Amino acid sequence: MKKIVKYAVGIIVLIIVAYNLVYFRKLDEVKASSSKFDAKTYARNYFNNKLLPSLSNAVELNQLMFLLQTNKEQTFDKYGHALGIGNIRYFLVKGEGEVTSINENDVTVVAKPDTNQKTIRIATEFVFGNAIRDASGRIDINEFSNTMDFNNVSAEINKIIRAEVLPPFKKTVVKGDSVQFAGALELNKEHLDVEDIEVIPIQLKIIEKK
Amino acid sequence: MKRGLHKTALLLLLLFSLIVVNSCKSKINAAHKKVAIIVSTLNNPWFVFLAENAAAKAKELGYETKIFDSQNNTALETDHFENAIASGYNAILFNPTDANGSIANVLKAKEVGVPVFCMDREVNSTEAATSQILSDSYSGCVALGKYFVQQLNKNGKYVELLGLVGDNNTWNRSKGFHEVVDNYPGLKMVAQQSADFDRNKGMEVLESILQAHGDISAVFCGNDAMAMGAYQALVSAGKEKNVKVFGFDGAEDVINAIAEGKITATGMQFPKVMAYTAAIFADEYFKGRRDFPKKMPVAVEMVTKENIKDYTAYGKKEGQ
Repeated sequence: MKKIVKYAVGIIVLIIVAYNLVYFRKLDEVKASSSKFDAKTYARNYFNNKLLPSLSNAVELNQLMFLLQTNKEQTFDKYGHALGIGNIRYFLVKGEGEVTSINENDVTVVAKPDTNQKTIRIATEFVFGNAIRDASGRIDINEFSNTMDFNNVSAEINKIIRAEVLPPFKKTVVKGDSVQFAGALELNKEHLDVEDIEVIPIQLKIIEKK
Repeated sequence: MKRGLHKTALLLLLLFSLIVVNSCKSKINAAHKKVAIIVSTLNNPWFVFLAENAAAKAKELGYETKIFDSQNNTALETDHFENAIASGYNAILFNPTDANGSIANVLKAKEVGVPVFCMDREVNSTEAATSQILSDSYSGCVALGKYFVQQLNKNGKYVELLGLVGDNNTWNRSKGFHEVVDNYPGLKMVAQQSADFDRNKGMEVLESILQAHGDISAVFCGNDAMAMGAYQALVSAGKEKNVKVFGFDGAEDVINAIAEGKITATGMQFPKVMAYTAAIFADEYFKGRRDFPKKMPVAVEMVTKENIKDYTAYGKKEGQ
C-alpha cells in the first residue's frame, strides 16, 4: 500500500516537473520581455526637452540646398549628423512654403524663398526610422547597453509624430495653404540626390489658409 | 668652421640612427603582436569576407593573424577565446554568435587585458568589449519595410524568415521591418520562423510554409543567404514570379539577383568598413589609445533595381 502511495507521489512530482520544464512562447515575446528600458518615457522626455528646443537651430531648407551645391563636404560636416560612420547623414531643417498637392503618402510644398520653385515632399504617411532621433545630434548611443532599446526610442518618437503632429495637419490642410515646417532630412553623401527631397516632419503649422 | 661641420654631421648621424632604431623597434613590436579574428561562422560568404578583410587589414598594419570559426556555437567560441588567450594573442576582432551568451567570453579576454573589438554583431554589455562596430540594421530594415509596403500596395500575405534567435541583429532587423509594416492591416504575416541565417534552412523552412500558405505575395528575410534559399524554394514551387523576396546584407549573389529581377531589394552592409575599423582600432589600442566609442554604428543603404547601378557586392566600390 505504502509503495503505491510512494509511486503515485513520485509520478505526480514527475508530471509537475515535466509540465514546468517545457513551455511555448512566441519568439518576439521572449525578446520583448528581456528588456526593462522604458523607451516611451525616454522618447517623451527627449522629444520635449531636447528635440523641440533644437528646432531653433535647424537650417533653412533652401539655404541647405544652396550650400550643398556650392560646398558639399563642408555642408555635410557642419549641418549633418550621424551616430556612426557611413554615407547616411541626417539634417535638422525648417522652412515655409505653399502646398501644391496633397497625396496619399505626402504633401508637396514649394519652399520659399526659392527662385527655382522646386517642389519638396513632406512625409505624412511613412514617418519611421532614425531620422528624427538622430538629426539633432543630441542623443548618445553609448548611453544604451542594448541597441534594441536605442531603436525603441526612435519607434516611440515616431509614434508621437504620427499620433500628435500628423492627424491635425492632415485633417485641415488644403492645396494653396501656406505652411511652416520643421523636420529631419536624410541624405546620402556618396550618392547625393537633391532632386527628390523628403522632409520627415517634427512640427507642422498652417500659417495661412487658402 | 670644419669642427662645427663635423659636429653638425655627427648630430645628424645620431638623429638618423635614433629614427632608424625607433622605427625598427616599432616594427619589431608590431611583428610580435598577434591579432585573433573569431567569427560566428565561415559557412556564409558574407562572414568569410568580413573575417578575411579584418585579417588582411591587421596583417597590413604589421600583425600576425589567425581566423577562428565558431560554427555558430557559443561553446566552440569559448574554446577559441581560451586558445587565443593561451596562445598569446594581443587583441581579438570578434563577430559574436550570441548577444548574451558571448559576453562571458569577451569578459574573459578583458580580465587578462586583451582588448576585444566586435564587428557587425554586438554583445549586450557596454562594459565588456573595448568597442563595437555594428551595422545600423534597424534603420536599414525600416527603409526596406517602407519599400515593402509600397511594392505590395499595402496589401497581401507574407512570410518572415528570422535569423539566429540569440543575435540582436535578428531582432533589430525584424523590429525595423515591423515598425513600418505592422501599421498596415492589409499586410498579413502568415508565418514567422527562424532559419538561422542559413541558406539551406531558409529553403527548407519556406518549402514547408508554402505547403500551407501557397498564396503569399512576399518573403522578408533577415539576411541574403536565407533570401537566396527562399528564392530557390519559390523556384521549386514555380512561384518565383509571383512572390517578392527581400534580403539583407548586400551579398554577391543577391546583388546579381536584384540586377536580374529575381530578388526585390536588400540592405547593403559594409563589412569591409567594419573589418578595417576594427583592425585600425586594435592598432591604435596597441599604440596607447583608450578613448574608443563603445558603439560605432555603420549606416546601411537600401539596394533596389532603381539604384543597383550605384552598388557592387559587400558595398565595395568599383575596382576594389
